Amino acid sequence: MTAAAAGAKVRVDISHRYGELLVYEKLDLAVRENEFVCICGPSGCGKTTLLDLFAGIMKPSTGEVLIDGTPADPKKHNISFVFQEASMLPWLNVRDNVATGLRIKKRPGAEVARKVEETLALVGLTGFEGYYAHQLSGGMKQRVAIARAFATDADLILMDEPFVSLDQPTREKMQREVLDIWARRRRTVVFVTHNLEEAVFLGDRVVILSGKPTRIVADLEVNLPRPRDPVSEEFTRLRAHCAQMLHAIHGGPDE
Amino acid sequence: MASVTPDIRPARARSLGGLRSVANNAVTIVVFLGAWQVAAMLVNSPFFPPPHRIVDAFVRLARNGDTMGNTLWQHCWASLYRVLVGFAAGVVLGVPLGLLMGLMPRLYASTRSVLEPFRFIPPIAWIPLAIIFFSGLTRFAFLIFIGSFFPVFTATLVGVARVEPIHRKVALVYGARKRYVLTHIVLPTVMPDIMGGMRVGLGAAWLTIVAAELSGGTSVGLGRMMVNYAELLAIPEIVVGMILIGALGFAMNEILLVVERRLFRWRWQVTL
Repeated sequence: MTAAAAGAKVRVDISHRYGELLVYEKLDLAVRENEFVCICGPSGCGKTTLLDLFAGIMKPSTGEVLIDGTPADPKKHNISFVFQEASMLPWLNVRDNVATGLRIKKRPGAEVARKVEETLALVGLTGFEGYYAHQLSGGMKQRVAIARAFATDADLILMDEPFVSLDQPTREKMQREVLDIWARRRRTVVFVTHNLEEAVFLGDRVVILSGKPTRIVADLEVNLPRPRDPVSEEFTRLRAHCAQMLHAIHGGPDE
Repeated sequence: MASVTPDIRPARARSLGGLRSVANNAVTIVVFLGAWQVAAMLVNSPFFPPPHRIVDAFVRLARNGDTMGNTLWQHCWASLYRVLVGFAAGVVLGVPLGLLMGLMPRLYASTRSVLEPFRFIPPIAWIPLAIIFFSGLTRFAFLIFIGSFFPVFTATLVGVARVEPIHRKVALVYGARKRYVLTHIVLPTVMPDIMGGMRVGLGAAWLTIVAAELSGGTSVGLGRMMVNYAELLAIPEIVVGMILIGALGFAMNEILLVVERRLFRWRWQVTL
């Protein structure tokens, strides 16, 4: 841990309380630059809270979240966030939704137009610029949210169970798309999921959390070549290993 | 890049004010007038004039003005002007105050014991005080302000609570400041509620103007005109006043509706 922490993109060393409730007890985690880290844990272990802390929109009770060595602050760091819930702004069309982050960061108009066009092409939504949220399917809306996150060229992308609301085929397609985008653009990604298969399929590393008060139970490198085959022997072995870790603290299957 | 964006809006949203609905309404008007005519013929009393006598009275008023020489146009404009001034004051104060109270729930919670009871004092109950303290335009504008303020204020206040925490978060993660959240997240969310409140407030404004004008203090205004003719038992002229009030209120409401549909296309297509 400490060796990795030295050149870490993100460095978390916190305890966090929510009122009387101890959410994190001495959580210590470092994410390397351009790494794809998946965070898994039982429902209600505070995964979303952890991403809010990463993004700097919530402050830990004690300790610090450092990005490139300075405390996380969305006004200073270039962070993107794909939310679990539908987060497309209904009063803006697709184009303006994707442009939101860029406009907040006051990028010049020509750059905004170019980035929006690029990222929409990347997620396969070219031609839908003028559409509003209610005219799109759940999968398309989530792709708009992903495009918005990638448009700002953020160097830290946080994803909170982004595919949980999608059906299985769309979900698999989106997983491949995100890997594809990540491979082409090389960013640091922290991806929260409660689906171990998804975690092993996507991550360079899988971090497994316990229930509250939340600690890190396991931190596993996934050294499988990409694209990964979810039915291969190594894949299933690793997935089973993660499941054991998760169940060990749980005393039973999670799902 | 040629973006193809076919119009997939539902037909009903596109044709809300369409030809078909205009034709249907024309039929409704004809049926209404026919029923009126038949009823007037059956009753056959000078106190129940048929439609054509209302038209006659309208032409007379429009051509020659009333008994005191005020034209119909002056009456309409006087009422309309008072409504616009008072209504504008209600919006200008109601929206910011609603936003402030909505964004600071604690401030609202600790002041509502004074604020809320005012909502239940009807504008008409303010007429005696208004007669004592104000005269002319100020009196009418004040009463209309009272009538239109609360619908706008309350709609704005309630609208702020509708802001989705996730939308605020979207802005915050990209480093947005409070001002941006207010102008780009809160306002777009609340705008449809504000417009709805404005339409309710407008109804209240018309309700108030007639009552205020009936209570005197002016020689022009549609309410005043109606009282004058009531003293002469001239029923057609009174009905002309009533129809004009209805028509003016309807026209203003339609204008607001058109603006609403333009601005909130994203919302109009999902409601209804």
